[in-house]
Amino acid sequence: MTDYHLVIDGATATESWHYLDDDAPLTDAPSIITLARLQAEADTLKSRSAPLGVILHADGLGKTDHGEDVRALAPYLDRLALVALHFPIYRNGRGYSAARVLRQEFGFTGELRATGDVLYDQWAMMNRCGINAFELAKDISLDTFKTALGELSGAYQPAADQNQGGKKGWRRSRL
Amino acid sequence: MYRYDEFDHKLVADRVNQFRGQVERRVSGALTEDQFKPLRLMNGVYLQLHAYMLRVAIPYGTLCSAQMRMLAHIARKYDRGYGHFTTRQNIQYNWPALDKIPDLLDELAGVEMHAIQTSGNCIRNVTSDQYAGAIEGEVEDPRIISEIIRQWSTFHPEFTYLPRKFKIAVTGHVNDRAAIKLHDIGLVVKRNNDGDIGYEVHVGGGQGRTPFVAKKMTDFVPKAKLLAYLEAVMRVYNMLGRRDNSYKARIKILVHETGQEEMQRLIEAEFSKIDASQMLTVPQEEIDRISAYFAPPAFQTLAAKSDGFTQAQSQDADFARFVRANVVAHKQAGYAIVNISLKPIGGVPGDATDAQMDVIADLAEKYSLDEVRVTHEQNLVLPHVKLDELKTVYDALAAHDLATANLGLISDQIACPGLDYCNLANARSIPLAQEISERFADLDRQYDIGELKIKISGCINACGHHHVGHIGILGVDKKGTEFYQISLGGAADENAAIGQITGRAFTEEDIVDAIETVVTTYTDLRADGERFIDTYNRLGMAPFKERLYD
Repeated sequence: MTDYHLVIDGATATESWHYLDDDAPLTDAPSIITLARLQAEADTLKSRSAPLGVILHADGLGKTDHGEDVRALAPYLDRLALVALHFPIYRNGRGYSAARVLRQEFGFTGELRATGDVLYDQWAMMNRCGINAFELAKDISLDTFKTALGELSGAYQPAADQNQGGKKGWRRSRL
Repeated sequence: MYRYDEFDHKLVADRVNQFRGQVERRVSGALTEDQFKPLRLMNGVYLQLHAYMLRVAIPYGTLCSAQMRMLAHIARKYDRGYGHFTTRQNIQYNWPALDKIPDLLDELAGVEMHAIQTSGNCIRNVTSDQYAGAIEGEVEDPRIISEIIRQWSTFHPEFTYLPRKFKIAVTGHVNDRAAIKLHDIGLVVKRNNDGDIGYEVHVGGGQGRTPFVAKKMTDFVPKAKLLAYLEAVMRVYNMLGRRDNSYKARIKILVHETGQEEMQRLIEAEFSKIDASQMLTVPQEEIDRISAYFAPPAFQTLAAKSDGFTQAQSQDADFARFVRANVVAHKQAGYAIVNISLKPIGGVPGDATDAQMDVIADLAEKYSLDEVRVTHEQNLVLPHVKLDELKTVYDALAAHDLATANLGLISDQIACPGLDYCNLANARSIPLAQEISERFADLDRQYDIGELKIKISGCINACGHHHVGHIGILGVDKKGTEFYQISLGGAADENAAIGQITGRAFTEEDIVDAIETVVTTYTDLRADGERFIDTYNRLGMAPFKERLYD
């Protein structure tokens, strides 16, 4: 059992992933590992066929203050089905940039998930940055989630959420 | 000036409803104060010493008369009959009730105003030159790009939870009246050799406990690419800025610790990717649409001289003094820029009553092509007044204590709210500003002293800009007693500089005498035509220090 409920692409979803501690053995179940493990075990991971995900920490696990570099994922992206962005506290906004880099610079099309301190007033902005999966507190209904996403009806800038109909350039748009 | 279309109206209305919901969730307890705090801050609501405070945005300091009238109405209905104009060209109300703020915001939205992003760790209200569109020699009206930046930065999904607040200022003139080098990003509008408009970009300026003048990151970014460049700066900052210590979280610290060259490299690398995507290239039709709002207003063709104006000055010495101190040449023949000082002798810097705001709104509508400006030095401006009508405007201002002829003089001080209002302050600022103003009340003495900018902060956060005052005063607390530290030689203009501390701080009893000592040292030592800052730059700290402490 998880302590959250999962919303993916605007619908309630069943959790099929496991967050794996660094010292836990890899299984054939869909697993989310740390960046450090991904880098350390890159070669052995190549022979593993089960879905692989990684969690990216914004607070650097105490190593560096500016957290883990999203661009460190570049060599591994073709093998990643999921990236979980950890928000240590809602007001740490590094994950928003990480999300846009993944979607817009790297063209990552897998699941992009917000985990950690993921609250009502941040969901819409996360969504605009390309996060499509949210770990929500259990008492939050899907309707509440949808209300939050619909509070603003337009955007003054393109982000990762918009298909601009092939048009390029800065423009305002209805959401 | 810019007018909302349906899109803008809808989004501001959405925002009011969103905030109404947030207030309801706070009142019901669904949100903790800690969770509510960044949300209310993002909407300009602070919790101060005595009450909530609301900061309303005045984008790049431009108002029309209907907006000024609304600010007066809000002061009457939701506050105690006054408002406080700030160093960021905004207005603050010190006494609104939290549960009434959504209604207040509804009323503001009716005149195309809001409190969006006036605080919080996001991109704040863009500030600019109060003489935009009125002063001779501008490369381009800086409000065009300011409005484009305002829109791009509003509800920006990536940059709403930055390490710390982020302030952008723009000047379109070589004489910088917007203190752009003391901002997180400062932009100077320029024209390149091909005649195209672009921007010189300065990054990492700021005051607070670690003041820095911004470093130039690039000489020229073309207009259509500026948003891509700004997004690059913001992304570098959001990814690498420090979040472990809020005092080290501003971009100025990142620039300082990273170094100018490495910072340039990081920004360029990010910029080249964003630029290549063309996602933020500003389309010419958008530039045209927004530029049209800032086309010159309907000036009449007038003679450069007005006999009535000249005659009125010879008949009324007070008017002549007002013209000399507060009136600036306009680019259009027959017009003038009129500064309204919000620094009456002994008054609270930046405060205006509802009645005064109404008077200024009426004057703007009748005599200034419907425009008012707010300055970062906490004064107001009627930007387009006919010389023929200047005396009429002056008389109306004088009747409401709005004609103090002290612009740029020693009594035209910047002061933060200080210990009278603010949670953070160590010392009172307003009473000190009032005492200094009283001490130098004699206008003839002020004219003799000449241009002299005193800036007072009640704590190290430097909201009163003390680092960049020609004379800066910082309130410090020593074992429960208020002391004041003096710094000299700061400047907020195109020659931006951080002032140097004179030495040990002065007590509340001694500080005004100490200021007078600094001033008389200057008047004793100045060469012909030297302003205070010139004399200081020529002689340095030594003579001032000697007179202060020996």
